Amino acid sequence: MHPILADARKLLWYELAWLAAGVGLAALLRLDDQADWASALEFAVPLCIVWSFDMLSAYYVCRSQPYAQRRWPVTLSLFGGASLLSALVWLGAGEAWNALGGDIVRGKPFVAMPSAGWVMFFAAGFALYLLSLLAHDVLIAFETVQHAARREAESRVLARDAELQMLRTQINPHFLFNSLNSISALTGFDAAAAREMTVDLAQFFRRTLALAERERITLGEEVTLSEHFLAIEKRRFGRKLDAQLRVSPEAAQCLLPPMTLQPLLENAIKHGIRQVDGGGTITVDALVRDGWLHVAVVNPVAREDTPASGHGVGLKNIRERLAVLYGARARIAWQRSETQFTIEINLPVDKEASA
Amino acid sequence: MTSLSRLRALIVDDEDLARHLIREYLQGHADVDVVGECENGLDAVRQIGALSPDLVFLDIQMPRLTGLEVLELTGRRTGVIFTTAYDEHAIKAFELHAVDYLLKPFSKARFDDALARARTLHASASVTPAPAQGVDALVARRGAALERILIRDREQVHVIPVEQVECIEAQGDYLAIHVDGKCHLKPQRISEIEEQLDPTRFLRVHRSFIISLAHLQAIERPGPDRHAARLRSGKRVPISRSGYEKLRELV
Repeated sequence: MHPILADARKLLWYELAWLAAGVGLAALLRLDDQADWASALEFAVPLCIVWSFDMLSAYYVCRSQPYAQRRWPVTLSLFGGASLLSALVWLGAGEAWNALGGDIVRGKPFVAMPSAGWVMFFAAGFALYLLSLLAHDVLIAFETVQHAARREAESRVLARDAELQMLRTQINPHFLFNSLNSISALTGFDAAAAREMTVDLAQFFRRTLALAERERITLGEEVTLSEHFLAIEKRRFGRKLDAQLRVSPEAAQCLLPPMTLQPLLENAIKHGIRQVDGGGTITVDALVRDGWLHVAVVNPVAREDTPASGHGVGLKNIRERLAVLYGARARIAWQRSETQFTIEINLPVDKEASA
Repeated sequence: MTSLSRLRALIVDDEDLARHLIREYLQGHADVDVVGECENGLDAVRQIGALSPDLVFLDIQMPRLTGLEVLELTGRRTGVIFTTAYDEHAIKAFELHAVDYLLKPFSKARFDDALARARTLHASASVTPAPAQGVDALVARRGAALERILIRDREQVHVIPVEQVECIEAQGDYLAIHVDGKCHLKPQRISEIEEQLDPTRFLRVHRSFIISLAHLQAIERPGPDRHAARLRSGKRVPISRSGYEKLRELV
């Protein structure tokens, strides 16, 4: 909708301006002695009010020709044609109102305008409409710039949130301190296992920290990182946790934003495996089909589990991150059955440019 | 050594290695017997009831029930040493209420200190019971609004998400919690649960009633100056004058 029509205050000011223009036109007619004051006002004011709405139609003419797709010959002839048509309407309305309206109200035309006067009237209509087109063009350009700036600011905020989220995952204090506690326990009876766990922990953090500066990594890299993560978690949860990663060689080469898979596994353990008495197996399947990368993570959940607070927040974060980076081309969906939680991500295949 | 001076301990943690570490640290203390181990909060509630141990090593972040929920359900207030990796809110509360806690990973020396304190407290508790208000407040107020209500029905524990609760009614020393046409009884004061619930979702409309705004369907007027709330289930709940004022502000 036109910004002036959508806002009552703007519309009021706009119409007041046109009222003044009507009075001005009446004054001109009076000065030229074409009519007395009353008739001149009766002629000019209603005409200007009706005309004011016609002028607003220029907005839609401009909108039909977005800057980016403009071909100037087409645009210019459209602008010229619209102005001509509008000026004809203006002239016709003027003549008709003068003759008919005048006849009804006064019994004679409002003004006695010479032919040269009507030509001027027509020319003024043409010029004014063209001016309105140009003014609207500027207005729309201004709006577009503002809109773009706002959108950019929004996506910057989202990107920063995603980055913060990633940093938080890197330094998940629960994970870090619990892992250190497990190492502390292992040193008492299995020094070799303690050493392995220390190395896994170091590798996991080293790799995650290195990701902070990168926009995309291959799924293969993410899988390596996730394997260190799973190795640590397997030590913590023992026989409760098992994991099967089936990643096709083609899928391993695909690029995706870092920390897409690892948070899914973290969720699967936190909300799934940990809550199930006997534990269970997390399966990850990744493959490429028809130009799409499919990643599916399935884990068991506790039957009578009540949705604890915070559940789903991590998933929503991932969805937002993917939406910022891929727009509508990324799909993420999850569903929960009685005993199983499944999450699937579909991304357009994007491979490292073979340099 | 009489059996009185021995300590019977229960270890609660869902991680095998964490339990193993506590067992190992306890090996140097001949006067402590480990009478049981639990992997989750529900099991802990059962074992605390069945074994009544002198000392419980209690993890906070556990499946099923958290450590604090275990205390709520068992009514246990003394002889607890919390173990936790990272719980900002809880740690602040522990310091305030002088409950002992161990931050993972902890040293043998720190562990021995905690055990020595527990031993002293246990010995004095048999003469004069330790004041429990501090821990009561810790259990009742966990920072964030209550998300689920726990009810112990003999050996069973019901976990009810608050969004399922229609209304809560005070009946003597008990609360009647209405969920899906069923009614659960829980020994608690209505003012206490009112404080724990999210005030934007639950409203005390009457001296003995709290209703869920999500389950509220209509406000009826059975008589001049008298109001009643009709809930989605069809149940009607009386509204007092001050309750009506509060409700009008919210809705």
